[in-house]
Parts: sequence; C-alpha cells; structure tokens
Amino acid sequence: MTPQDAAPALAGALIALGLVDSAFSGFRAYAGRDARIRKGRAVVRASLRGLAVGGGLLLAPVFTAGAVLLAAADRHRAYAALAEGGIGFLVPLACYATAVLLSLAAYLVLPFRASTLAMVAGLGPLTLLRPLAVAAACAGVLVRGAGVSALLVGAVAGAAVLSVEPLVHRRWYAVPRG
Amino acid sequence: MPHLEISDLITVTDPRSGARLPVHRGEVVHRLREAGDRRAARIVAALPADRHDVLDPRAVDRLMIGVHTELQRLSEELRLGERLVHVLGPLFEAVRATVPGPLRLVDVGSGLGYVVRWLAAHGPLGPEVELVGVDLDAALVGEADRLARAEELDCRFVHGNAFDLPEAATVYVSTGVLHHFRGPDLAEFFRAQAASPALAFCHFDIAATRLAPVGAWVFHRTRMRHPLGRHDGVASARRAHTDETLLHAAAAPGMRPLLYEPRGLANPFCTTLRPIIGVRPELEAPLRRALGRAARRLVGPEQLVGAAR
Ligand SMILES: C[S@@+](CC[C@H](N)C(=O)[O-])C[C@H]1O[C@@H](n2cnc3c(N)ncnc32)[C@H](O)[C@@H]1O
Repeated sequence: MTPQDAAPALAGALIALGLVDSAFSGFRAYAGRDARIRKGRAVVRASLRGLAVGGGLLLAPVFTAGAVLLAAADRHRAYAALAEGGIGFLVPLACYATAVLLSLAAYLVLPFRASTLAMVAGLGPLTLLRPLAVAAACAGVLVRGAGVSALLVGAVAGAAVLSVEPLVHRRWYAVPRG
Repeated sequence: MPHLEISDLITVTDPRSGARLPVHRGEVVHRLREAGDRRAARIVAALPADRHDVLDPRAVDRLMIGVHTELQRLSEELRLGERLVHVLGPLFEAVRATVPGPLRLVDVGSGLGYVVRWLAAHGPLGPEVELVGVDLDAALVGEADRLARAEELDCRFVHGNAFDLPEAATVYVSTGVLHHFRGPDLAEFFRAQAASPALAFCHFDIAATRLAPVGAWVFHRTRMRHPLGRHDGVASARRAHTDETLLHAAAAPGMRPLLYEPRGLANPFCTTLRPIIGVRPELEAPLRRALGRAARRLVGPEQLVGAAR
C-alpha cells in the first residue's frame, strides 16, 4: 500500500487522535478548579467542552490541507506529499499516545502505590512533554521529506490541539467554582 | 538560605485571638529578596495592596482559596484519601479494640478540608467517627465548610490554631502541614497533641527524598496555574523534614513515635507523602497486628539507622 492509498485512514487516525486529545484537554482545563468531592458529571461536561472546541479547531488543518491541494500545480504530487507528511506526523504522536494510554491504564487499575508511580513517572512528565510531542510530530514531517506545505498543515494541526486547553479554560473555568 | 513559602508570609493570623493581621507587601518582598528568592519577591510585588501598601485581604483570600483548590487536584491524583485510609483504617481498628464509644478524627491545618470531606463522602472509617477540620486561615475554613454543605457531607470545620487546639480528638491527622513548622515548633506541635487525651496522631507530609523537589517541580508546573502555587509547591518539597527530624520531634512524652515508609525502605516514586505516627504505647501491638504485612514498613527511632542503610 502506498502512502496515498493509506491517506484517508491516516487522516482519520490523526483526527481521532486530535479529538481524544481535545477531550483530555477539556478535562485538564477544568481540573483543579472545582474542590467538590463528587464531580463525575462536571468532568464529563468539561471533556465534552474540550471535544467541541477541539472539533472546531481541527477544521483548521483540514481546511489548510484542502487549500494546499487546491493551490497545487500538481495535485497528485501534493496529495502524495501530504500523505507522506501524515505518516511522519503520526508516528511520534502514536508513540506519545501509547505512553499516555499505558500510564493512564496503570493509574486507573493499579493500587494506589503503583498508581502513584504511573502518575509521577508517567502522566505528570508526559503532560509537560506535550508541546515537545507536537514539535517531534512536525519534525517527523520533515524527516519524511514531505515538504513545506505538509509541514504547514502539521503546524496548524499542532497549534490547534495545543490551543484547546487554554481556550476551554478561559471560556469556562477562569474562575474556580465548587 | 531558608526556603520560604509565600503563603506563610502573606496570611498572618494572631495565634491567640485568631484575628487577621495586616501584611505590608514591601516587607514581604524585602524578606523574600533577603532570602535570595527573587521570583517569589516578584510574585508578591504583583499582588494588590492599598495606598498604605497593605495587601488586600480579600484578594489574598481569593488567591489562597484558588491555590488550595488547585492543590486539591494533586491530592486527588496521588490518591491521598486511599493513602490515608491504608494507615488510618488499621489505626482506628487498633483504637476501637482499646476504647469503646464514639471516636473523633481532627485534621489539623485542614485547608479546604479535602481529607475530611473525602472521608465523609466515602465513609471508610465507619459512621461513628466524627470528622473535624481545624485551620488557622478563616477564609479556607469558610470555604471548606461551604463545600461540605454543598455536598451535604457529615463533617465540620473550625477556625483554630494547631498549637492551641480547639478540638479534642481521638486521633489527630494532617496532610502537608508539618513542613510549615520549623525549629522548636515541630516538637511543640507533637507535644500539644501528646499532652491532650488523644490516643494517636498520624501526620502525612512530603517524604524528603532527593526526587521530591524535582517531582514537585514537574507536578506543580503541569497541574497548577498560579505562580504562587508553583513556587510554594517546590519550596515545600525542599523544606520537607528528614526522617530523623520527624522521629526525634514526634518523641513526645507518652507517645511512641513510628515512621511509616522511611526513606531507606520506600520507593521514592511511589511514596510521595507518608506519615509520622504517634501512638500511646499500649496501641503499638494492636496497630502492628491490624497493619498485617504492612507493619514491616513501620520503624521506630531505634530501627532508623538500620533501615536507612
Ligand atoms: C499546605 S496547606 C495543606 C492544607 C491541607 N491539609 C491539604 O492537604 O490540602 C497548610 C495548611 O496549614 C495551615 N496552618 C498553618 N499553620 C497552622 C497553625 N498553626 N494552625 C492551624 N493551621 C495551620 C494553613 O492555613 C494551610 O491551610
């Protein structure tokens, strides 16, 4: 299968990853702003807010990719370059997402002592590394030799996912509540 | 250089009357600069003050509530409630075997009362344990009380001083408070409880491992938004008392001091907070029995040298 053949699946995987990340970003925007003990519903609401904002923001890379294709002299080559870039973008993010999901699973299922390890060695540092994961994804585009247009799409996608948390925070959680 | 926490300097309460005292911003900034902490000085310099340079008490209260709300997230993520119950469950089992009747747990320096409210919401200690939080900061006590009422939790919060305890307890507990007490205050804190009718105390604080300041930096950086919270979080990890200091200070008359998960025995990645315990001597054997295999994590002063090796 060529990268072009895989392009729709690739785009689907990247958007799915972006949406899952948005839901987590919504949670993070809310966490630490509500001191109640029982807040399951509020957590779900915050995640949905992240999902909604992320869904909107992720249209930006989709439109950018569309514009790149429309503006290209050789649309076939541009499509191939975007597909190539998509692979380069996905690999670092997939590694990052796997590490997050493993830590999260460990955090949720293990007893408190081991779950602390998952938090201290996993989820905490991984949150800090999130912008670096996005930078690595952009570097991945370049490593695959996908060109500047593909990098532009990647950069827009990266900026979109990194904006979800601050936007949700500012819109709904700027003032602590309880 | 001493590590100072901004929150200790911007909220000053008269220990006797409990009254809030005015705080001059310039003096706090000066103190922080003297201690070589320019970053902390900048954070305080940006806080609102009146024309006499007195910090706006309402703004400070809002800030403290905000920072403690963020701090609660860390307690939630590190499963502080379960961590406590892991030791308090057996401790109350031992207490019940010794004294019949209603029991009372008092959380000293309860802040927003997360521990007390969590225990009230989940009930792991049983319904006959009355749950009370005490704190020197009236704004935090008010907010803890409001939160408890909002969720209809069976617990209460009292404004008071740890050194002049307003509430009698069967067991005194605290989380993240010990590092605020320095020098002779630390031993005095334990002595006041030992001199009361309480049967035990169990105070959780940051384990003074080499990893603690790094871990605190990562956590406060990623989980807290306000620079004050980030600053104080790291400062508190740097100020954490050593195992030796805790065991020495907790050796109050009539109490047997025991440290749970001392440095030498614990994995610093898993042991972020752990307690120094004091029990009336007759409670030690029942406590060890109730802890079962976990009792091997318990050391007295006489074992510490061996355990640290
Ligand atoms: C780091 S906070 C910890 C709050 C809470 N225990 C928690 O784990 O979130 C320290 C708390 O100790 C309180 N405190 C400091 N000195 C005190 C004293 N002498 N008596 C009572 N509370 C005190 C402060 O007001 C503050 O709420």
